[in-house]
Amino acid sequence: MPLARLAARLAAAIGAQPARQELKWMKQARAADPTLPALPAMLTRRVAGEPLAYILGAQPFGPLTLRARAPVLIPRPETEDWALRLAHTLAPSPGMPARRILDLCTGSACIPLLLCALWPPGTARALAVDVAPAALALAADNARLTHTPTLAENPAANTLDVLHGDLRHPGALARALRAHGPFDVLTANPPYLSKADWAHLDPSIAALHEDPAALRGDDDDGLGLYRRIAELVALPGVLAPGGADVALEVGWTQAAAVRDMLARAAGFARVEVWADPWGRERVVVGRRRA
Amino acid sequence: MLSLRQCLRRQCRSHVPTHRRRHAPPTSHRPHSDAAASLEQIERTHSRLLQALERSVRKSDPSQTDIAAAKQLKSAKPVHDAWDRYQRTKNALLETIPLLQDPEMADLAASESADLITDLDHQLTHVFPAILRPPSETAHLSALIELKSGVGGSEASLFLAEMLRMYTRVAHQNAWTPTILASNDSDNGGIKDAILEVKGNGAYDALRWESGVHRVQRVPATEASGRVHTSTVAAVVLPLSDDPPSDGKDDDLFKLDDVRIEVMRARGAGGQHVNKTESAVRLTHMPTGITVSMQDERSQHQNRRRAFQVLRARLMDQKIIREQAERRATRKNLVRTADRSEKIRTYNYPQDRITDHRLGKGNMAWNDIMEGDGLMEFVQSLQDKHNVEVLEDRFADLEC
Ligand SMILES: C[S@@+](CC[C@H](N)C(=O)[O-])C[C@H]1O[C@@H](n2cnc3c(N)ncnc32)[C@H](O)[C@@H]1O
Repeated sequence: MPLARLAARLAAAIGAQPARQELKWMKQARAADPTLPALPAMLTRRVAGEPLAYILGAQPFGPLTLRARAPVLIPRPETEDWALRLAHTLAPSPGMPARRILDLCTGSACIPLLLCALWPPGTARALAVDVAPAALALAADNARLTHTPTLAENPAANTLDVLHGDLRHPGALARALRAHGPFDVLTANPPYLSKADWAHLDPSIAALHEDPAALRGDDDDGLGLYRRIAELVALPGVLAPGGADVALEVGWTQAAAVRDMLARAAGFARVEVWADPWGRERVVVGRRRA
Repeated sequence: MLSLRQCLRRQCRSHVPTHRRRHAPPTSHRPHSDAAASLEQIERTHSRLLQALERSVRKSDPSQTDIAAAKQLKSAKPVHDAWDRYQRTKNALLETIPLLQDPEMADLAASESADLITDLDHQLTHVFPAILRPPSETAHLSALIELKSGVGGSEASLFLAEMLRMYTRVAHQNAWTPTILASNDSDNGGIKDAILEVKGNGAYDALRWESGVHRVQRVPATEASGRVHTSTVAAVVLPLSDDPPSDGKDDDLFKLDDVRIEVMRARGAGGQHVNKTESAVRLTHMPTGITVSMQDERSQHQNRRRAFQVLRARLMDQKIIREQAERRATRKNLVRTADRSEKIRTYNYPQDRITDHRLGKGNMAWNDIMEGDGLMEFVQSLQDKHNVEVLEDRFADLEC
């Protein structure tokens, strides 16, 4: 199909202005990296519904440019926004002892890698956990891409290690975490689409290029993995005895329920809900006692 | 060969009788009065400059001994040095002038007096002005060039694209780093508006003269009748400092609390529920009402940084204009601020002529500017003109 027709199709699918921009970004990316597919091939894939990030193989996240690779979930701008805010809110001063960070459901490892990038050297020691091998592989690739070593490689730097783990078995996971914890910071963006959501997917995700297991939450209300997280953090040795900061991304209607779960779990001075830039309640944040 | 000064010294020692001069053969071109006239002439031309320099020499008189005076003395050193050098050169000339009538030394004296006059002239036209002119406070700044197409529709957009290429090329020629921060394409392959960042020392000082309305006259490709159209592009050149972009903290130019940050499109449920690029941001600086929108990057973070960059540049621009206005109010400041709605330049394609309306003369050919390095010649002339104005200002300062 000629380029103009493809471009027109894309405009019909996503709007004229976004289509014009995406076309520009494809051209720019291809100019910078000739190993990418040629423009007609990119456009054809895009028109067929493949996400732009997979076609370009990259997704910006704060100051980072991370690799994006199907079927690992593409980081969303909402996540970028709260992760930046969290990085600033919790930022340690240079020379402070390293904080142990646990990122569950890590996917591309965007959240812990951002903390590693923004915090002073030697203040972030992150563990990224996922059940999907493809996610763990991408997380490790992104660590290399952002020059984030493992703890064994360079204990003086901000580090990231990956660990295979299944949140559906909190007891076993807690045992596996023991060698790395206890943690001062816990972050997670677990799959949260409910059963009802699953029946009416937005066209932008309906083609399911992304792993369904990265989107679809457990239990009918999609909150199953939050319940497992609540169980996990109650187990000894997971969170630091002095208290920890916890940030959980939620779907737009789920903040109240997840806030209650965290509030019931002991040890938080207060539990906040942060809105995203579009005005949706997006993150539940449990703050440690000062 | 003996220099004239050495000859002169010998002459003094050997008591050459002064009457010898009277017997000197009359020279046809009378170099004696010529040289004297030249001296008189250049001193008359630069009389204000000389007075100004003399005044600043006197103001920083080293007879005071307190610390403030000593400090001032340090900064006054170049003034004193220049003044001494001028006086020495002038005295040498005054000593030389009588020798022009000495038959034995006339030739040597003529060539030396010519050199001395050239030297004096150089000091008056270059050395003194550079010393008296206050240093530019914006010399270290980079620039943002904002271009907007005006009258002339698609032809204006086509010309804007050409201007953007021109500035990009000029930036490379000057070892600055150009980056297009934003651009909106028009349907005909032109650009409706654009923001070009030009990073590097001196970029702002050189490019600030580009602020104003640029007018192009030519026959658009689409014009069947061959009639010449007039289109315009408005340029605003803003000062850009290299401070880290202030998207996290307060700034000397604004308080973060005064800036409203908005994302552009609605996103429905958002989060995992949708997967669309939503990177456009808009900043509103509430005290001034300045708004900046950025959407060119896939990264919202990057768009936000750039939006803050543009906001800073606009606020700094306002600050500079405000300070100029204040200075003008407190003393009679002659340096005028550019009026950005003013037509500054006409690019006439059929006549192959580009005219800068602020410079009386010295048109350029189309390719000199659009393909060559003619723009920097315009820039230099405009800078020279500005320097003269600044100097006039300084005179006014020293005179009161
Ligand atoms: C919504 S994605 C989040 C990815 C990334 N943290 C982000 O914010 O872009 C959810 C991730 O959780 C992982 N996941 C799903 N079920 C899991 C489980 N039972 N245990 C651990 N990880 C799981 C998926 O593989 C997926 O990578």
